[in-house]
Amino acid sequence: MLKRGKQSGLIIMLAVAATTCVAAEHGTVIRETALYLSANTNSQKLSPVERGRALTVLERSDSGGQPWVKVFMAADETARITREIAGWVPAQAVITAATANGDQIVFGQAVASERQAEERGGRKGAAQDAMRLYARVPDIFPGSPLAAEGLWRSADIRWQLAKADYLRSGSQMEERYLNEVIARYPQAKQAELAAYDLLEAKLCPEWRGLAECPEKESLLFEQYAREHPQSPKAAEALYNAAWRQAALADIYRIDNNMSKSEAARKKATALAQQIASQFPQSDWKQRATDLAYKLEKKIPVYGQVIE
Amino acid sequence: MPRWGRAGLVLWLVFAAMPAPAQEQKEQGTLISEVDMYVSPDVSSQKLARATRGRNVILVMEHTKMATREWAHVLVVVEVDLERQSERQISGWVPSSVLVTTATPNGDQIIYGEAVDSENQAEQRGGRRHADEDAMRLYYRLYEYFPNSPLAGEALWRAADIRWQREKVDSRLRPSFRETDPDMREGMDETTVKLVQKKFPHTKWSDLAAYDLIDNKLCGSWRGEIKCPEKESELYEKYAREHPQSPKAAEALYNAARRQAALVDMYRAGKENDKSEKAKRKSMELAQEIAARFADTDWGPQARELMYALQQGIPTYDVESKKPIS
Repeated sequence: MLKRGKQSGLIIMLAVAATTCVAAEHGTVIRETALYLSANTNSQKLSPVERGRALTVLERSDSGGQPWVKVFMAADETARITREIAGWVPAQAVITAATANGDQIVFGQAVASERQAEERGGRKGAAQDAMRLYARVPDIFPGSPLAAEGLWRSADIRWQLAKADYLRSGSQMEERYLNEVIARYPQAKQAELAAYDLLEAKLCPEWRGLAECPEKESLLFEQYAREHPQSPKAAEALYNAAWRQAALADIYRIDNNMSKSEAARKKATALAQQIASQFPQSDWKQRATDLAYKLEKKIPVYGQVIE
Repeated sequence: MPRWGRAGLVLWLVFAAMPAPAQEQKEQGTLISEVDMYVSPDVSSQKLARATRGRNVILVMEHTKMATREWAHVLVVVEVDLERQSERQISGWVPSSVLVTTATPNGDQIIYGEAVDSENQAEQRGGRRHADEDAMRLYYRLYEYFPNSPLAGEALWRAADIRWQREKVDSRLRPSFRETDPDMREGMDETTVKLVQKKFPHTKWSDLAAYDLIDNKLCGSWRGEIKCPEKESELYEKYAREHPQSPKAAEALYNAARRQAALVDMYRAGKENDKSEKAKRKSMELAQEIAARFADTDWGPQARELMYALQQGIPTYDVESKKPIS
């Protein structure tokens, strides 16, 4: 009985917790602020609250003529398992699911932060702010028309930052955020863009003059273009495949393997012609025409300067 | 290798600006790859210079075939000194394969493609050195030698914009950059940007060129002076009204709205509450216009965010540090 009673008690507790979870108001901030011990700017500051941090709203209150919100947030946002801390933030900059046009406001601040990150002398940490803010759009507003784009942009910024780290320190690039875009929005343009980013993890860090790398990479890019013909990256993928075949023509020629060189040259020309006819309105057409001209005139594109 | 004086350059420019029929007999063009120039059509002959992409081949004098290779005897401008208004020309032999001229089928597309490729290189981490200069020259050559190409307008605009952005970066290093009054500092050279407006009026390229020109009228630093955001807001709004179809119209309106939002805080700090309220209304109006007209672009959500900040009284300008809050 005790055991049973205990069990049913646990079930009731879990049900209550689940109800609380469902009812919990999630939100974020669009300006950097501090987490205060109490609803007062003179109280102790517990932690900075950066733009885009995930918050759970616990309580609202007015204090000193100013609205305040009591929130929960992760003490360390980068840790997979972390303790949560509670405190008060000024309500002004808090956006929740209840805020009118909240999805657009969060997305708008994400765009502004991304622009800051791209500017010379822009705000420090702006790229991370943008990454968090974009991620909050699908978190807080899953039904928003901006949700897929928000999730994709967040994953892409994370990927680009990880790529820079990889180039600096060789640290591993995590694929799960891009895979989440593909899993959640499989038919969307954003899934195609995520799939394109993921190709980078399969590329050789350095070719070292060997044919193996461009061979493999050309196949990868061509396969992507075939599987994602409507992708905004289809033309670029085909161009990358063509350019690698052009490089192979040079690599094989340097190795005196003339038949393979000629085959690669033909393949590159065919791909370049395909780009020119399939994407006549983009810059890729002219780049493909330029590449086709170089192939025709046997101007090297890899590893050799014109004498 | 004559070094042209000021008069020489002027004469040459006049010559270059002559109507197309006079130039039609001459084969002119550019190089789409970096090459050595030789005294004679032979790689074992003396090297004269290294010619980079986009260099101005003002005359192709002769073509010949040596062994299996085709060569061209060309006159190339290898150095232009805008300040001293001089240039250096070299005549020599280059492999014909890298020479794209007015006689090359699809020459405009090939040059444009190489320019895009160079621009892409310039944007890449670890990309080719001076690739931005290559792109700038290549785009300009396309306009110069293929003025009737459908790509000419965009090419001239891209050449002008690359030059503009390069000068903007340089200007930030000058001590005068932080001058509040734009007349107190040396601005970017407007020649090429204005050429876009002159040659391709009422086009997207002309609209984009006009937007670049605003940079020269902005304060280097506001230093808390109200006249800066006031004037800049006017400039951006005027641009948006005069170029409603411009790809930069939404950005211009947003910049105007942001400056009005900054004025809200500046006037409030100066206890000019009426003016602060007026600036708030103006900023809201502009932001609402963006949200309505450009809802499907990134400017729509940014305008919504600005409206929210204005409604909630979230400052957009830090009066103490005298800087906009980004």
